[in-house]
Amino acid sequence: MNAEFVQNWFSQVKKGTLSYIILIILDEKEYYGYELVQEIKTHTHIDVAEGTLYPLLNRLKAEGLVESRWVEQESGIPRKYYVLSKDGQATLAEMKNIWSSLDMAIKKIQK
Amino acid sequence: MKRINFTNTTAQKIYDDYFKRVGRCIKILSADDQLEISMELNSHVYEAIQGAAVQDEIAILVDTLEKLGPPEEVLQPLVAEKKVAQAGRSFNPKHIIQALFLNVNRGAAYFLIALGYLLIISFGSLIIFKLISPSHTGLFVKDGHFYAFGHTSIVPPGASELLGNSFIFIVILLMGLFYFINTMLFRLMNRK
Repeated sequence: MNAEFVQNWFSQVKKGTLSYIILIILDEKEYYGYELVQEIKTHTHIDVAEGTLYPLLNRLKAEGLVESRWVEQESGIPRKYYVLSKDGQATLAEMKNIWSSLDMAIKKIQK
Repeated sequence: MKRINFTNTTAQKIYDDYFKRVGRCIKILSADDQLEISMELNSHVYEAIQGAAVQDEIAILVDTLEKLGPPEEVLQPLVAEKKVAQAGRSFNPKHIIQALFLNVNRGAAYFLIALGYLLIISFGSLIIFKLISPSHTGLFVKDGHFYAFGHTSIVPPGASELLGNSFIFIVILLMGLFYFINTMLFRLMNRK
């Protein structure tokens, strides 16, 4: 097995699917950044480079797919919560369709 | 932004140093964007420390900051994107040039915008040429056909300049037009 090739391929897959994973998680309820990282790790076992999450969230927000709001905390250090926007929900639905089609196609080829 | 206070002085220094680096990475952005980014990273560090099982402040902090990554690397795309957004909002050439510099690796679109700004500078220099050398700068026609627009060191026999001092006005209009087009391009790219 070419481990290096597999590693590079997996990195690309992670990079390409992270925004999809984030949108799926944010469809359930609102999350703040650190909580979102933990949720991704719990469900996917993907070792997310935590700092890269914020540029991605910013991009999703700029695209109008997620919305954010600051919520004050007793500690005095507020949390920034993210949730899927209406446009984000519609986009996610379309992404799920594409993902299902792709999944079916790959399974068909693999048989 | 409310800083996190550590009981351990080494932990406090590590924390302060990290946020100094963050500050240096984002100082190019607007005050609002700087505050937004700092507050979000600060919140991340705070929540990570609160959720940690171990009690060693230094170990938790170092682990959290390592997972976040060096600010110079992880913040680069965020700073670049926010700078483009700021440039698209402000029409300020300083922000636009900074955004160009930060996004130089983002492809042909930025190359075109950079070319646009080069044209704007070139048009601006034509105004100076027109003032210094009015007979060699302008819109030249020869034998009823277009010959040159700009500055020419040799005006061939039979060629004449058409615009006179209106050339300066036309060039200013062109500069404004290209400036507007470039900034609109920035806004379009920012939406994508």
